[in-house]
Amino acid sequence: MARPGNKIIQAKLVLLGDMGTGKTSLVLRFIKGQFYDHQEPTIGAAFFTQILSLTEATVKFDIWDTAGQERYHSLAPMYYRGAAAAVVVYDISSTDTFNRAKKWVQELHRQGNQNLVMALVGNKSDLNSHREVEAEEAEQFAQESGMFYMETSAKTAQNINELFYEIAKRLARISPPRSSGITLNHETPDKRRRFCCIG
Amino acid sequence: MYGTQSKRDLALELQAQVPFLRPSIHARRANITVKFQDLYGFTVEGNVDDVNVLNEVREKVREQGRVWWALEASKGANWYLQPQISSISEGIALKSSLKLSNFANAITLKKLIRKGIPPVLRPKVWFSLSGAAKKKSTVPESYYDDLIKAVEDKVTPATKQIDHDLPRTFPGHPWLDTPEGHAALRRVLVGYSFRDSDVGYCQGLNYVAALLLLVMKTEEDAFWMLAVLLENVLVSDCYTNNLSGCHVEQRVFKDLLVKQCPRIASHLEALEFDVSLVATEWFLCLFSKSLPSETTLRVWDVLFYEGAKVLFHVALAIFKMKEEELLLTHHVGDVINILQKTTHHLFDPDELLTVAFDKVGSMTTNAISKHRKKQEPAVMAELDQRLRRLNSLRVDDK
Ligand SMILES: Nc1nc2c(ncn2[C@@H]2O[C@H](COP(=O)(O)OP(=O)(O)O)[C@@H](O)[C@H]2O)c(=O)[nH]1
Ligand SMILES: [Mg+2]
Repeated sequence: MARPGNKIIQAKLVLLGDMGTGKTSLVLRFIKGQFYDHQEPTIGAAFFTQILSLTEATVKFDIWDTAGQERYHSLAPMYYRGAAAAVVVYDISSTDTFNRAKKWVQELHRQGNQNLVMALVGNKSDLNSHREVEAEEAEQFAQESGMFYMETSAKTAQNINELFYEIAKRLARISPPRSSGITLNHETPDKRRRFCCIG
Repeated sequence: MYGTQSKRDLALELQAQVPFLRPSIHARRANITVKFQDLYGFTVEGNVDDVNVLNEVREKVREQGRVWWALEASKGANWYLQPQISSISEGIALKSSLKLSNFANAITLKKLIRKGIPPVLRPKVWFSLSGAAKKKSTVPESYYDDLIKAVEDKVTPATKQIDHDLPRTFPGHPWLDTPEGHAALRRVLVGYSFRDSDVGYCQGLNYVAALLLLVMKTEEDAFWMLAVLLENVLVSDCYTNNLSGCHVEQRVFKDLLVKQCPRIASHLEALEFDVSLVATEWFLCLFSKSLPSETTLRVWDVLFYEGAKVLFHVALAIFKMKEEELLLTHHVGDVINILQKTTHHLFDPDELLTVAFDKVGSMTTNAISKHRKKQEPAVMAELDQRLRRLNSLRVDDK
């Protein structure tokens, strides 16, 4: 929980990636500590909040877990607009999902926020025996694209907390000056801003 | 056919046999959350007040039933077929040769439908008033059976996605989540994916078709309701490749919110909250994932008679009902929580529909069409730009 005097960062985080790569499972593992074998399909996107406390800051995540079929991807800009962090997920046992992840990364590069913290995540690391994407290749692509790389398993919980801690740390490092997607809350929200909207 | 009888019995049985839940004083004090089955077999969680509301709703449904029966007795069984007012497909309000008595019937009918169609009459009334009956009558008797037989063993991306979604559609429902329910839903969705290959299968339709199956007498009628919905009632291209119709509706909705709820609109804009973040699901699932079942179906009662503008009325009403609370929010998460909590607890359909039609300013289908025309070019340009960007990326890859 928030410590007094500690800086509070409100950050919008979006998960992108092919259907079935495990985005929803990742989020649920992070938030509820659980893994479900049958996930209800998400329409549009699902919203979650989670708070992480670091020594240097408390990060309040607004998480958008985007969803669905290819045709739903046309809705994605609404979810990554104004985001402070983006997690692009692929499935290490499927080259197709890795290629799609690359396209998401390129799309994100064009959306304009220079400070966007980006993570490339190879999920389903428990399926190592079916691996189609080598870690080195992904690592290299991540480096070239200015993002960090991690392999996770929502099933075994491997690296899930680490992933979100790493994002939180990076957000804390770059937090001020105020950039889009991040709001610093040292004091109560600006009253003027509220009143200008009434009437 | 296809065992649909048992499903239908389920809805009727629930209506007839579920005893009024009488929460004890102790439960009331403790404000306990209880789980119970609603009119259509969905498990809902609510507090004691919610249970009371649902009991009142059951009583009102019975009353409405008596009103409808009385009208049938005085005007004849199919009296509501005479006023040719709906004509969603033709887009005209009234046929010119209409007699005065028919005009009176049309007014009565509109009011009556906004107060709700009794669940037992829903299959019949929806089927005729939506235009589904007419649609069905233009093809051979055996159309549906032939279609289902012809596509039974075909495998396409759409059928794969459908198979993936079947067990995840309203899991735990006493009929939908059984092998029989899955099979019926599969036939309707797969059948439709072949009828219109531009739509194929779009996630969201699984929920819509599932509810249609629960309401309609037969699986075949559910199929025709889905067809009339997608082909005549809703704006076109809501569910096709890049959901362009859905994008248009969202832009129109934002325009309407600014006009009808200016305080909320500017407050949410200041919070950088895009209302489509929540409204997209409302429009694609026609509220079936957000509102309790009877409330959703009451929205659909009006939707099938008055057309797609009803969705705007209802969406605006949800915001309007919570205006004061929403104006106090400082944070996106709070807005979402308020809206979710509100929709999930709208057990009294009249509470919502009264706001939707009395407090939200009236909008003609014509005016909405103009709004849509205005937004279309921008949506097309935006989608086109994104597509071209993606294609250029594809070239970069090589
Ligand atoms: N073996 C394995 N399966 C996973 C993992 N994460 C998700 N899954 C499964 O992959 C499927 C798709 O997961 P889901 O979270 O719905 O993916 P989404 O479409 O990206 O949200 C589900 O059946 C999950 O149970 C993982 O780390 N390991
Ligand atoms: Mg998902």
